[in-house]
Amino acid sequence: MPEFIVHLIFIAGIVGTIAGFVLGFIPLISKYKLPIQIISILLLTLGVYLEGGIAEKAKWELRVKEMEAKVAEAQAQSAQVNTEIVEKIVTKTKTIKVQGEKIVEYIDREVKVYDNTCTVPEVAIQAHNMAAKNIAPKQEGK
Amino acid sequence: MKKLLLFCTVLLISGCATTVPVKQKFPEAPKVLMEKCEPLETIDKPSIVFSEFLKVVTKNYTKHHSCSSMVEAWQEWYTEQKKIFDEVNK
Repeated sequence: MPEFIVHLIFIAGIVGTIAGFVLGFIPLISKYKLPIQIISILLLTLGVYLEGGIAEKAKWELRVKEMEAKVAEAQAQSAQVNTEIVEKIVTKTKTIKVQGEKIVEYIDREVKVYDNTCTVPEVAIQAHNMAAKNIAPKQEGK
Repeated sequence: MKKLLLFCTVLLISGCATTVPVKQKFPEAPKVLMEKCEPLETIDKPSIVFSEFLKVVTKNYTKHHSCSSMVEAWQEWYTEQKKIFDEVNK
């Protein structure tokens, strides 16, 4: 709606309200006093509402722009954090894998010589498997 | 007339309620964080030499460390993203 129409509605509301409530003593107005009062109150209310809307519009648009800028900045920051975390986790996983492989090499080099002297009982294998699967033994001691 | 004035008052007050139509979405988690932890290895033989036994244990520890680092990454991701998300609505 064009702004001048809003101003016209507001002015008409003010004029009508003055006419209906203050100038009631004038014979022509006093004849239509009630309809003038009702219509002018409605016009004044609508006018105030729309004038308020116009006054808030610029402020509101500025707020929307600010919010959009904030959201865009947050999205950029969020993407940056995502990239950093992904890089960190990929590097860390690789390091963990390499460390594990080095320990396996160490076992082959240093521990293998004790294979003949150190035996692994079957219950130890079962205990290991239960721990790996997170299954408790069915009976005590087994 | 009283009803008319009441209606006008309600209409004018409702004009004060404005919301900014800019919606902010919580970000999607990176795909790498969505990967499941690998299941731990078991020994499928009745007997095994000590070094092989130790290797399986080592591999399982490695898997645990890998999964643990994933959980830490998740915690860091959530903390950082929440901080960024909350900053916008301050």
